[in-house]
Amino acid sequence: MTRAPALGLQDVHKSFGATPIIRGVTLDVVEGERHAIIGPNGAGKSTLFNIISGRFPPTRGTVRLKGAEVTGRPPFEINRRGLSRSFQVTNIFPRLSVYENVRCSVLWSLRYHYSFWHRVDRLRDAHDRTETVLSQINLGARRDVPAGVLTYAEQRALEIGITVGGGADVILLDEPTAGMSHSETDYAVELIRRLSAGKTLVMVEHDMGVVFNLADRISVLVYGEIIATDTPDRIRANRAVQDAYLGTEHH
Amino acid sequence: MNDAEPSTAVSAALPGAAARRRRRPWPWLLAAVGLAVLPVVPGLDSDFVRSLASQMGIAAIFALSFNMLLGQTGLLSFGHAVYFGLGGYVAIHGMRWINAGLPVPVALVPLFGAAGGLFFGLLIGSVTTKRAGTVFAMITLGLGELVVAASLMLTRFFGGEEGITANRTRAPQLLGLKFASQLEVYYLIAFWAFLSVVLMYAFTRTPLGRMCNAVRDNPERTEFVGYNPQRVRFLAFAVSAMFAGVAGGLHAVNYEIVAAEALGAARSGTVLLMAFIGGIGNFLGPILGAMLITWLQVSLSDFTTAWQLYFGILFIVVVLFAPGGLAALIALHVPLARARVVHKVIPGYLAALAPALIMALGGSLLLEINYRLATKPELGTRMTLFWVAMDVSRPWPWIAGVALLVGGLYAFRRSWALVEAGWQAASERIAGGGAP
Repeated sequence: MTRAPALGLQDVHKSFGATPIIRGVTLDVVEGERHAIIGPNGAGKSTLFNIISGRFPPTRGTVRLKGAEVTGRPPFEINRRGLSRSFQVTNIFPRLSVYENVRCSVLWSLRYHYSFWHRVDRLRDAHDRTETVLSQINLGARRDVPAGVLTYAEQRALEIGITVGGGADVILLDEPTAGMSHSETDYAVELIRRLSAGKTLVMVEHDMGVVFNLADRISVLVYGEIIATDTPDRIRANRAVQDAYLGTEHH
Repeated sequence: MNDAEPSTAVSAALPGAAARRRRRPWPWLLAAVGLAVLPVVPGLDSDFVRSLASQMGIAAIFALSFNMLLGQTGLLSFGHAVYFGLGGYVAIHGMRWINAGLPVPVALVPLFGAAGGLFFGLLIGSVTTKRAGTVFAMITLGLGELVVAASLMLTRFFGGEEGITANRTRAPQLLGLKFASQLEVYYLIAFWAFLSVVLMYAFTRTPLGRMCNAVRDNPERTEFVGYNPQRVRFLAFAVSAMFAGVAGGLHAVNYEIVAAEALGAARSGTVLLMAFIGGIGNFLGPILGAMLITWLQVSLSDFTTAWQLYFGILFIVVVLFAPGGLAALIALHVPLARARVVHKVIPGYLAALAPALIMALGGSLLLEINYRLATKPELGTRMTLFWVAMDVSRPWPWIAGVALLVGGLYAFRRSWALVEAGWQAASERIAGGGAP
């Protein structure tokens, strides 16, 4: 029996007005895989993420999550089905403390939903889960600080913490190392490796070092189309990819 | 059950959320005792004080319910009095049924208000909370006008211009309470106010209450952690309307009449002032604002017919110079109090207070002269202001007003250096050495 892919895109198109951004993307990401999407600026990588995560619907085509169709479903429904994403531009709760930021991300998955009959400070499971994530992202010492005053790198770490807090098994990371220094990037890569263990990871990333270090497979998106999907070594050797994107590095 | 607390307390070294989360029942007990003994304290045991305190209690519930939307969920409503008023109407009808023989004690009438507020909150909120931000604010403004217009048309329910009256004393008695005296009414209001404040505070410490803050900060992100921000807003709106209805129900008991002004734009505006002046960023802020504004409404209107003008000025001053409201001003001093260096800033405050009062005196002198001349020209130019008889056709009162205003302003700005010096000294003491 073949298992349904963790994430399956079938002929996904997206146009803004008359402008096509995504032009027929078909992609299967198998369970447990670490998959990177690379491509030049404006190729539609973030748009693809937005379609998958429900931020907006595709113009046509289908998105399947663990076999079930989620095309055009709102983000919270897709999240409840076990897909969580991070954002390229840090997207946190600036006036809440770091602790509260993470706790907000764990509440739904622990089935507290819209409860107004639980005392949130007494929820042991929510607290423990929050603590675990805080120590994973190494922000335990900053727990009571409003998230808005964290440093950039700390906010990026918190962004990832919020993304994994709900325990989703499909994780989408949109340029997790954007704007980081070398040492920060190295740290972030280790963090992502740790947090995505046993999960399906799809990431958009510009830093080729990060991509080739982390990814099991790579898809190259150029002008809204995937021109190749393969292992890092074969992608490196792929003539079309070199011409379209990697070329400058391999002359 | 003793969980979560020990490990969160580890971080209490940082004065933040974790420190506040520690359970301390004594502030609540203190408040309860204060409410209980207030009306029998010598000097405060008059019906005037009890009536004032009753109005403050009602306003406090109303302002807190408003802040569930503005401060907690980030929803600015220009029509919150709709739920106060509709709750009040349901409550006054409930009281009429009681007068007609319904076997319910008057002490439970606020529950009618709660039910009315909740019902209309669910009904109207299902539409208004589809959107946030400016759109939400505009819809609440429109709906507020709509309900006021409806109240003048549907006279069976709203009683037209005269409103609906009922009698709180013609009812079954609970614990021998007849509610014939203001003292008994005060205790009824104090009880419900205390209960409401506790419940509204408890609400902020529930998963939904926390997600309200998250939706306020970043509604989009909540969608990607499993929450539907529209649903969060809708639930917060309904709960907020329910507590506004409790306040309206107490209003019905207190005055035995509910009329269209209970749900009008003026009351919606006043509650915004209360919450903002008290401070929307702090749970207790709106209570402070409600007490201050109620007191000003009652006492200032005795002194001057221009009291609404002073309101406006107060609001502008707070928005410009203390956008966090009174609560934020007080909170600013908490670290100083902890480090026991508050005394460093007090001399500066005292030095600035005198010119500030002189400035206010000059300003209000000019304001009162103009107001009197503009609104009551038939009374002529002779008037007594601040216990001084004057003839404002002569230049002297004007010169005095301008001199006090300008001189006060100048001295105030000079004395501000002392305030800054005090703060400088206090923060140096905290920074260098820290603990006393």
